[in-house]
Amino acid sequence: MSNYSAPLKDMQFVLRELAGIERVAQLPGYEEATADVVEAILEEAARFASGVLAPLNFSGDQEGAKWHDKSVTMPAGFKEAYAQFIEAGWNGLASEPEFGGQGLPKLVAAAVQEMWKSANMAFSLCPLLTLGAIEALQLVGTPEQKAAYLPNMISGKWTGTMNLTEPQAGSDLAAIRSRAVPQGDGTYKIFGQKIFITYGDHDMAENTAHLVLARTPDAPEGVKGISLFLVPKFLVNPDGSLGARNDAWCVSIEHKLGIHASPTCVMAFGDGGGALGTLVGQENAGLKYMFIMMNAARFAVGLEGLAIGERAYQLALAYARERVQGRAIEGSTGPVTIVHHPDVRRMLMLMKSQIEAMRAFSYTVAAAHDAAAHHPDADERKRSQAYVDLMIPVVKGWLTETGNELAYLGVQVHGGMGFIEETGAAQHLRDARITTIYEGTTGIQANDLIGRKIAREGGATLQGVIALMRQTEAELAKQGGAEFAAIRAALGQGIAAVTQAAEYIVANYAGDIRGVSVGAVPFLKLMGIVAGGWQMARAALVAQAKIAGGDADPFYPAKISTTRFYADHVLSTAPGLAHAVVNGGGGAMALAEEML
Amino acid sequence: MTNLVIAEHDNASLKAATLNTVAAARKIGGEIHILVAGSGCAAVAEAAAKIAGVARIKVADAPHYAEQTAENIAALVVAHAAGYSHILAPATGAGKNLLPRVAALLDVAQISEITAVDSPDTFVRPTYAGNAMATVKSADAVKVITVRTTGFDAVAAEGGSATIEAVAAAADLGLVKLIGREITKSARPELGAAKVIVSGGRGLSSGEKYHQLLEPLADKLNAALGASRAAVDAGYVPNDYQVGQTGKIVAPQLYIAIGISGAIQHLAGMKESKVIVAINKDADAPIFQVADYGLVADLFQAIPELIAELN
Amino acid sequence: MADLKILVPVKRVVDFNVKVRVKADGSGVDLANVKMSMNPFDEIAIEEAVRLREAGVASEVIAVSCGLVACQETLRTAMAIGADRAILVESDADLQPLAVAKLIQAVAAKEQPQIVIFGKQAIDDDANQTGQMFAALMGWPQATFASKVVVANGMATVTREIDGGAETLEMKLPAVITTDLRLNEPRYATLPNIMKAKKKQLDTYKPADLGVDVTPRLTTLKVSDPPKRSAGVMVADVKELVAKLKNEAKVI
Ligand SMILES: Cc1cc2nc3c(=O)[nH]c(=O)nc-3n(C[C@H](O)[C@H](O)[C@H](O)COP(=O)(O)OP(=O)(O)OC[C@H]3O[C@@H](n4cnc5c(N)ncnc54)[C@H](O)[C@@H]3O)c2cc1C
Ligand SMILES: Cc1cc2nc3c(=O)[nH]c(=O)nc-3n(C[C@H](O)[C@H](O)[C@H](O)COP(=O)(O)OP(=O)(O)OC[C@H]3O[C@@H](n4cnc5c(N)ncnc54)[C@H](O)[C@@H]3O)c2cc1C
Repeated sequence: MSNYSAPLKDMQFVLRELAGIERVAQLPGYEEATADVVEAILEEAARFASGVLAPLNFSGDQEGAKWHDKSVTMPAGFKEAYAQFIEAGWNGLASEPEFGGQGLPKLVAAAVQEMWKSANMAFSLCPLLTLGAIEALQLVGTPEQKAAYLPNMISGKWTGTMNLTEPQAGSDLAAIRSRAVPQGDGTYKIFGQKIFITYGDHDMAENTAHLVLARTPDAPEGVKGISLFLVPKFLVNPDGSLGARNDAWCVSIEHKLGIHASPTCVMAFGDGGGALGTLVGQENAGLKYMFIMMNAARFAVGLEGLAIGERAYQLALAYARERVQGRAIEGSTGPVTIVHHPDVRRMLMLMKSQIEAMRAFSYTVAAAHDAAAHHPDADERKRSQAYVDLMIPVVKGWLTETGNELAYLGVQVHGGMGFIEETGAAQHLRDARITTIYEGTTGIQANDLIGRKIAREGGATLQGVIALMRQTEAELAKQGGAEFAAIRAALGQGIAAVTQAAEYIVANYAGDIRGVSVGAVPFLKLMGIVAGGWQMARAALVAQAKIAGGDADPFYPAKISTTRFYADHVLSTAPGLAHAVVNGGGGAMALAEEML
Repeated sequence: MTNLVIAEHDNASLKAATLNTVAAARKIGGEIHILVAGSGCAAVAEAAAKIAGVARIKVADAPHYAEQTAENIAALVVAHAAGYSHILAPATGAGKNLLPRVAALLDVAQISEITAVDSPDTFVRPTYAGNAMATVKSADAVKVITVRTTGFDAVAAEGGSATIEAVAAAADLGLVKLIGREITKSARPELGAAKVIVSGGRGLSSGEKYHQLLEPLADKLNAALGASRAAVDAGYVPNDYQVGQTGKIVAPQLYIAIGISGAIQHLAGMKESKVIVAINKDADAPIFQVADYGLVADLFQAIPELIAELN
Repeated sequence: MADLKILVPVKRVVDFNVKVRVKADGSGVDLANVKMSMNPFDEIAIEEAVRLREAGVASEVIAVSCGLVACQETLRTAMAIGADRAILVESDADLQPLAVAKLIQAVAAKEQPQIVIFGKQAIDDDANQTGQMFAALMGWPQATFASKVVVANGMATVTREIDGGAETLEMKLPAVITTDLRLNEPRYATLPNIMKAKKKQLDTYKPADLGVDVTPRLTTLKVSDPPKRSAGVMVADVKELVAKLKNEAKVI
């Protein structure tokens, strides 16, 4: 059975040296997040992840969540693990202290969430969805809603869901049809069917707060006519005790490719006369709220790609060190473990280097998020927010696409054993697959990136980022040696590729939106690869400074070599992607549909 | 140089570990005395007197030594410590409980679980769970040492003729009261914690045979029972018997693989075992590549023979 | 109980998951950049003490560690599990069990605990001595290798693991207990407690403040790898197998 051991060393390195946890801890409100406390938090989270959550990953996948009589039973051990999880206070890590949360920075939450997701992605979705619902209520809930729900949801005693998708409304939420009928007393009755609702029902908590998108009777058509409602599984009495069962039921669950332990529910609202709900925020502003909350959710799903890549890597590496097969290509006295074979080494390095790049990139985005929320200087807040807005689709899209590639490599390293479920590598491949789909497919992320985040502002924020990348490139130029020369060359080429592709997008977005949009996903990948390479280059520079300062930790030379590998094997693909962006539009759209 | 060895016994008989401890004392050199502290322990003293190479047996026979409590015995040892250069006890539960107390009362260090004697003041002992062997030299006048019994071959229990002398008991400190002692032999040890594991594979051919052959062997060795996945899949034994990559990872002192071919998934779970024995009828079975002792044989004959041989 | 303090000495050691490597020059094991954690037996000791306080038997749990400044982390971990405050006896000397027992003796003189719970051994030097030595220096009773602890009416009743079974001892407080693995399963620290641990009191002394001479009595001359697994042999029959297991491998 595969074990998980949190990569604390790399996490701490990124937190301290690249994402600047010490600077984050100086932001007002984050004073408690000092380096030593954060270290203690990560260590205990690591213990919890490997001791409690990871052992249920494989069994949860095998057993799956089970549906019967309109309710869901979780696989063995999940209920107990969830009880331990909330007992230990992990649920409220980053939530508001006013309602019982610990108010820790996003940066700390990112590292801790990575561990939950690596250990057991299906489990981690439950607190993740609860967090989404908490954020919605924190953002626009009424004082009554906050008082009744937030403490219970932040502690984890109650869970939350996001009910957006309907059979005809997936990527396009404007097509939502669920209805909300006002009762005249401030409450609404909700009618309609939602599909694909993660943790729509389960047996781990006593109540669930469903956040449901629906239309009021006189709402305008399209995106501007959708409101957000709070619909509890059990109604909550004024004294806080649980009342009647609400008319919101899980009528079936899906049979899926992966995340078998995470129930994906068809939810029926109002089949028995109407599900009672209350309005969250203003009428018709539901989708606006979703957009505000979207950054957090998309960031979190991006981390799933990183997390599964890490777990797949750990499994593949352990196997490669054990499996004996064939002689060394240069000759050996006897058979060798496959980690000696150059191609296996290449696959493992592709995994390791991209994991480190994804981690460095995503954690720095989390730190920017903290600055955007808490920096005392308004300009700095604005700058940080613009950076976060630009990078969120990249975090979501690039990390999840790469996570899939790494899970694929994880299977490949195992050979035939990888194809066998018992090995565990196949589960990672299956679990990873959803990450590029939910919370907005890669295509939707890429459209957001090139349209709202780049073309709309003429690429202004991106230009600022490119300038920062150039500074790093200049730092690289000051270092000696072949490693740094190679890193610098590849980063310089990558920056040029991003620049060229972005200029093309800005120039042609209005005139050839179809052609430009063909290049959206290649551009998103290009952005991810170069942004990851930029952060790896920063890491290599820090490592070099440590070595120069006399630090003998082998972690540092390894960081430089890993960056070099990334430069030659990953960053080097940037010009090809830019080529596809700039030249690929015509070819994709040329054929008549019937010729496809 | 004179060594004082603390005898381990239950008032009726001398425990074998004492013989290994005397062996360590012999390596140190000098005269060897044995202290027998107990109640009604004359038979123990007589047995001790027969150990080859021992000069003198000191017997402190008093009711308050019956339970071998560390508090009282440490006080007794200290009272009789004068003139000894080395005080030794086996590194058993009893010895480890007692000797640090003796050392502290003498204001000297204690040297734990030695596996070799380099010189009268220099010893080898395992640290880091046996992953590093430390050679340590003592600066104290008296060396207080526990001896890992597997490090020293037992001396002969017969052939000696030491003098037996009674020594005065020290006062009863009355610090602790024993209210119960239970020596458990019945329950089979748990797979993860067992010192010995008897593990069976598909070669056993059925659940019935598995139990019929392996249980008496495991009883004999106070061993836990394990299995290969093939044996589990075939329903011979339940899931929690499985040793290997997708089962339990074990590292006992002795692992006996019977009718197991030695697939790498199985090896992943047991290759850290201290001593591996393989019994298989196929001389080419990969299990023999990791085994310390291999026996090519039909297990249906070999196992009953083995049980008989152990009796 | 009105006022019953429990003192729990905790040691910072190489994490139990780390497989240590002996240094090539034989001077010791390589500890550079190795993950350090609280000795697992000491974690059990802290857990037991905290349970006694939660049960209302004890009034205060004090963790104490002797060693480098970095032991503060270990003490913070102890406080995150539930110790009320902590004491660091700071020293960069090679602290051997007798020296540690004397340092704890000096701390006990200040704190006047009724119970001191040690781990039975530290997983680095594997000495299994400090608790017993401390008990001897104090003239207290000891219950080593405990698997069950009951404290009531000024008495401790402790079930302890002995060769081949278990025994139960009863003793008057003050007393020393050393923990075995089966005593309890330490809890996971909660996030709020990890954060609170930072604010709990941590006092620091030097051995000289306590008047203790910590000069080592043992010198490590060299450290080497354990003997390698010798190549396997084939035996001819069951008789030979049993003989080898008895006389050569000495495992039966
Ligand atoms: C396991 C699972 C859990 C889920 N959990 C939840 C949940 O908890 N709550 C919830 O509300 N929903 C949930 N969903 C729904 C999920 O968010 C949607 O499936 C997702 O948004 C895609 O919508 P769709 O399935 O309708 O695909 P479609 O929108 O039909 O997309 C099909 C394809 O068309 C592409 N496409 C669609 N529109 C465009 C466009 N404008 N430009 C370019 N390409 C486009 C997509 O990229 C995709 O490749 C979950 C889904 C799954 C499978
Ligand atoms: C993903 C995966 C995970 C796995 N995980 C594990 C795991 O955790 N643990 C595990 O054990 N396996 C595991 N396996 C299975 C493993 O590959 C082997 O199939 C299994 O270990 C074989 O069990 P075996 O040795 O009992 O059976 P076999 O390989 O069939 O060997 C039986 C042996 O018994 C011998 N034999 C037969 N009759 C006699 C006789 N009369 N006297 C003496 N010897 C006799 C034969 O010579 C043969 O060597 C896993 C496999 C996969 C694909």
